[in-house]
Amino acid sequence: MTEATDLAERAGDRDPRIGLRAVSALRRLLEQLEAVQVRSARNQGWSWQEIAAELGVSRQAVHKKYGRQ
Amino acid sequence: MFERFTKDARAVVLGAVDHAERLHAETVEEQHVLLALLDREASRASFALMSLGLAERKESVEQALAEARRRGGLSRADADALSGLGIDVSEIVSRVEEAHGEGALRAGGTGAGRGRSWWSGLVGGHRPFAQGAKDLLTESLRMALAQRDRYIGDEHLLLALAARPGVAAEVLADHGVTYASLRRVLYGGGEAKAG
Repeated sequence: MTEATDLAERAGDRDPRIGLRAVSALRRLLEQLEAVQVRSARNQGWSWQEIAAELGVSRQAVHKKYGRQ
Repeated sequence: MFERFTKDARAVVLGAVDHAERLHAETVEEQHVLLALLDREASRASFALMSLGLAERKESVEQALAEARRRGGLSRADADALSGLGIDVSEIVSRVEEAHGEGALRAGGTGAGRGRSWWSGLVGGHRPFAQGAKDLLTESLRMALAQRDRYIGDEHLLLALAARPGVAAEVLADHGVTYASLRRVLYGGGEAKAG
């Protein structure tokens, strides 16, 4: 790879759009992963309290978010 | 408001609800509106899609949407951005599916809209519209106003879909359907003026 294309690529990496998009996508992915894990824990008989403790949030917060499912 | 929707536009909104039900989605999303738009025949939107060559590529669009669903609603551009951070979305999807079954990541539906809105009389269902789909309906009104149309047709829904960033617009663009190309086939010539 020539120095010019290398430089161009590294400059591209600093494009805030790419970085911001990655963060936003990561947030959405995180939400999906959380939903999968909470559902799995509930199916295995975990209480909201136990799930909340593992997630480091209040029981009310977890129940409000997933309770009706 | 919804009295301004044409028969075709109503059919698209109702069709989107059907697709959401068929796919066991908790909320009606923009991708379901796109699926419903693909079902239309002899409407303004279907003519636009046909002249952009989408009629023969319907299955390809459906497949691309299914792949995005499997990735938990992330578009390909999202996955590319994440791979820039060293995160391999397809690897995550396959690990999760290994542990929790196929399609486990399929959007569990976050950001569900609550409360009744002006279109609840139109769809009358119990499945809520996701925020993105609500915004899409509002945007379609803006598209109609920008065009000085006195009705909201399925072409305005399609334009709004193509203009809003997201999985649906990205899949459409991958198949040669963009806001600009739609405006060209719908309204001819002129440059695309933003809604």
